[in-house]
Amino acid sequence: MIYLDSAATTLKKPPEVINAAASAIFKLGSPGRGGHEYAMRAAECAYTCRERAARLFNVENPENVVFTMNATHALNIAISSLVERGDRVLISSWEHNAVLRPLIGKSAELLIAETAPFEGENCLNEYERLLKTHPKCAVLNHASNVTGSILPIYEIAELCSRYGVPLIVDASQSAGAMRVDMAALGAAFIAMPGHKGLYGPQGTGLLLCGVMPKPFLLGGSGSDSASGTMPAYLPDLAEAGTHNMPGIAGLSEGLDFVLRRGIEKIHTHESSLIRRAAEGLRGKGAKVWLSEAPERQTGVLSFVFDDEDPESTASRYNDSGFALRAGLHCAPLAHKSLGTFPRGTVRLSVSAFTTMREVEAFLKV
Amino acid sequence: MSDYLIISRSLTYAQRTERALVSAGFRAAVIRTPEERLREGCGYSVKLMRARLSDALGVLYSKGLAPKHVFVFDGGRAGEEVRL
Repeated sequence: MIYLDSAATTLKKPPEVINAAASAIFKLGSPGRGGHEYAMRAAECAYTCRERAARLFNVENPENVVFTMNATHALNIAISSLVERGDRVLISSWEHNAVLRPLIGKSAELLIAETAPFEGENCLNEYERLLKTHPKCAVLNHASNVTGSILPIYEIAELCSRYGVPLIVDASQSAGAMRVDMAALGAAFIAMPGHKGLYGPQGTGLLLCGVMPKPFLLGGSGSDSASGTMPAYLPDLAEAGTHNMPGIAGLSEGLDFVLRRGIEKIHTHESSLIRRAAEGLRGKGAKVWLSEAPERQTGVLSFVFDDEDPESTASRYNDSGFALRAGLHCAPLAHKSLGTFPRGTVRLSVSAFTTMREVEAFLKV
Repeated sequence: MSDYLIISRSLTYAQRTERALVSAGFRAAVIRTPEERLREGCGYSVKLMRARLSDALGVLYSKGLAPKHVFVFDGGRAGEEVRL
C-alpha cells in the first residue's frame, strides 16, 4: 500500500520517533511527579521537546510551548481564552471544523473573508476590510487542508497588529512544512498537531502561547498542589493531568528531524511531488487545484474526475493499493468556497518520506 | 565557592534556569527540592555546584530568570537563605 494521506497523519516516521516512543513506555515516568529517576528522565525529555519546538517556531521562552492532545485541543484552548459568547470573529473561508465548531459552540458571529485559493497577497484587501470592523479576534489557518493553499499569514498578522486584533493561527497543515515564526507573527496563539508535518505520534499537539491562556482542562499539574486552582504560569496552567510521554518523546524526535532536514528542503520536495501528480492527473482528465506559484501551496492536492464520485475514485485507488482521502475533509466551508460541496474532492497529500517513484506508480493507475 | 539551592516557581522554570547556568559554564542540575524547603516552590530546584553566587545570579538576571529563593546547600540540606 502506498500512503498518500499525510495531511491527515504522516504515517512514515523517522526511526528515531518510533524508537523514542516505544522506549518511553517503559523508561519514562511523569514529568513533575516525583524526584525519582523515571520522573526526572521524563522531565528532561519533555523540556527538550519544548526547547526543540521553541527553536523551530522561534518562541523565545520554552515555557510558552504547551503540550496538547492534538491541534483541535490546542485550538479549543486558544478560542476559549479569547472568544466570549456572541463575539464577532474573523475567519478565512478555508477553515476546518476544528475552528468552526468551537466558534459556533460560542455562538460567535463569523466574519468570513471570502477569497479564492492561491490568491496570495491579492486577498489582503478583503482581510483589511473586515479587520476595520474590529472583530474580537481572528482565527485563521495558515494552509488549507483541502487545497494546500497558503494564506499570506505574515502580512495578515501585520494587519491584525495594526488594527489591534489578536490572532490565532491554525498551523495544522503548515507546521513542519512551511516557516512558522511565532516572533514574526506576533500571534496570540499558534496551534498545531504533532502527528502531521512534525512526524510525532498521534495524540500529540502543541499550543504556542503569545498571551496567557485561560485554564481549559482542570486538574493535577504536579505544582502548587495545595491550591484549589490551576497554577498561574505556563506551561502548568494549561497542562492538567498526566502527560502523554510516549507521544512527547516521539514528537521531540520528529521536531529534531524537521530541524535537521530543514523546512525549505521539505517544502521543495513536497512541492515537486504534487506538481508531478497534478500534471499526471490532468493528463487523465482530472480537474486539479494547483497553484501556479509553488510557494503558495503545501504538499496537498485536491482533484476530481467529472464522471466519477470522489468516494468512488478514492475507493478505486484504494483497491489498487493507494491510500487517499475523499469527501469533505472536515472542512465543509472550504468545499463551499471551492464549489465542491457536498461531494467534496479526492485529496492526495505527501510528506518528506513520499518518493517520486510512489507518485509515478500512482499515476499508472 | 559554595553549593546553592535555587528554588523556582515551576519545574519548567527550574529547567530553564539550569540550562542558562550550564550554558554559561556553571555546574548545575535540577533536583527534587529537599523536604525542609518543599513549601517554598514547585517541588523542584536547581542545585548550583561550587559556584560564586553573584556570578550565577548575574547570568540569571540577564536572562530574566529571577529565582524565587536561594539557600546555601550543604550536605544535602538547604541551610541559610541568601537575601537577594
